[in-house]
Amino acid sequence: MRQVDIIGADMTAFGPQIETPLVELGARAAIGAIKNAGIKPSQINIGFFANMQAGNITGEFTVGQNILWEAGVNRIPVFNVENACTSGASAFNLAWTSIISGMYDVAIVVGAEKLVVPNLGLLQAGATELNVLEGGVVITNFASRANLHMDTFGTTKEQLAMVAVKNRQHAGMNPLAQFRKPITVEEVLNAPMMADPLTKLSCCPNADGGAAVVLCAAELSNRFTSKPIHVKASVLVSGIYDQLPDLFKFEEDLRAGSMAYEMAGLGPEDLHVVECHDAFTICEIMHYEGLGLCPVGEGGRLVESGATSLGGKIPVNPTGGLLSKGHPLGATAVAQIVEGVRQLRGEAGDRQVEGAKVYLAECMGAEKFGDAKTCTIIILQN
Amino acid sequence: MTSELKPVKEGIFEVGPPPRLRGAICPECNQKFFPRPMVCPHCLGELQDVYLSTEGKVYTYAILRVKPPYKLPRPYAVGWVHLEADGIKIHTLFDPEKLSDLDFGRQVTLRVGAIGVDNNGDSCLRYYFTPQVGGEQ
Ligand SMILES: [Zn+2]
Repeated sequence: MRQVDIIGADMTAFGPQIETPLVELGARAAIGAIKNAGIKPSQINIGFFANMQAGNITGEFTVGQNILWEAGVNRIPVFNVENACTSGASAFNLAWTSIISGMYDVAIVVGAEKLVVPNLGLLQAGATELNVLEGGVVITNFASRANLHMDTFGTTKEQLAMVAVKNRQHAGMNPLAQFRKPITVEEVLNAPMMADPLTKLSCCPNADGGAAVVLCAAELSNRFTSKPIHVKASVLVSGIYDQLPDLFKFEEDLRAGSMAYEMAGLGPEDLHVVECHDAFTICEIMHYEGLGLCPVGEGGRLVESGATSLGGKIPVNPTGGLLSKGHPLGATAVAQIVEGVRQLRGEAGDRQVEGAKVYLAECMGAEKFGDAKTCTIIILQN
Repeated sequence: MTSELKPVKEGIFEVGPPPRLRGAICPECNQKFFPRPMVCPHCLGELQDVYLSTEGKVYTYAILRVKPPYKLPRPYAVGWVHLEADGIKIHTLFDPEKLSDLDFGRQVTLRVGAIGVDNNGDSCLRYYFTPQVGGEQ
């Protein structure tokens, strides 16, 4: 199979950017990534733009073409991709596929989202879905999982809070993160209750932001960069929907993870740094288990041990994760790849994991019958 | 009057009494579904209508404390009931009057009642499960 490298990456700060239009958020990241790659816009053969909510919030469509035009890219095939929180990693998967197929040599992936909108309310999956009509919202889905995880494995609400505390501490080392002021376990537990046991500080904030990466066929990448980052695996799965979900574990992580590890010829023991979809504190604990960082049921004890903190055995979410970096949906999974590039190039500043050689990014989105509708895993190596 | 209100979604349940959820079964695969898909997603064969069990066990649940959608009570509980007789777990509202009786494995019974509004903002009927008095047996 043809190998693929990442040769350029960039992103905007995450957080409220009320005055900045969606196109500008995406274009700033795209321009930065193209310059970072050391290529001309005309050398890009295909483009993908990831976004989830622009159609709902501002009524925009085919935004990717507008963004890429601002970045000097035109004429080429451009695809606009929506796959919930994994939109960015889904776009990346398509870009990777387009290069390994031999059809294209250089691809750009841009993700951007404007989500800081007054009176946005709780995000819902769709007004005709029965579970939504019956009162299901995103946070109750994850609070239900948290309660079951606590009942099944003895996970504590303090352990859940430690995820938010750790990721906030990491965000203090990331100038692009939305929330950087340290918090304590007590502050997380005493924040306003949203859906027991999840308080306001257990949930990721809405954010605006953009991120972009440039991919290149590996045999060509040394024309542009001396520090190519190798894509060892890119996996996208959807749910099974058998209506008998085990809500104490992420079946999709386990399935996508084993596919990704096999593709990369690596295992969880080979990872040096991980970013995952910590939309709520419980998610990160369940992702530890789904990715094989610990056995199912042990995630709460893993965060408590400090193993997933910077300086620990396997640091998770050094950027602050969705919880503190912010969660601009379409940009989120692209930003995870940007962090992978920076960690593996040794350009991650104060949050650099010393000697990082293997990086994994996991993202997950949407739900049907208790199964995730989309789950992505990307493994990078320098 | 409750009887004049429409279900939150047509075809999902019968008001009764007794109230009943309308599912489907594939006679080839012997698999039940709720809500009813167009055809069996395993074999694409025709489905038969079937009423689901009106009793099950709480699999898990969550209580929403913030401003609810659809003018549901604040707080309210949602989660999952395991309909063991049907071999499926379904998402449901729980009885907003009995939040403190909710627990894992607790036996619950189907009800239909006027709770909240529909997508048009009109008061409507929703199905929910209520904990059985006297606990888990
Ligand atoms: Zn069938």
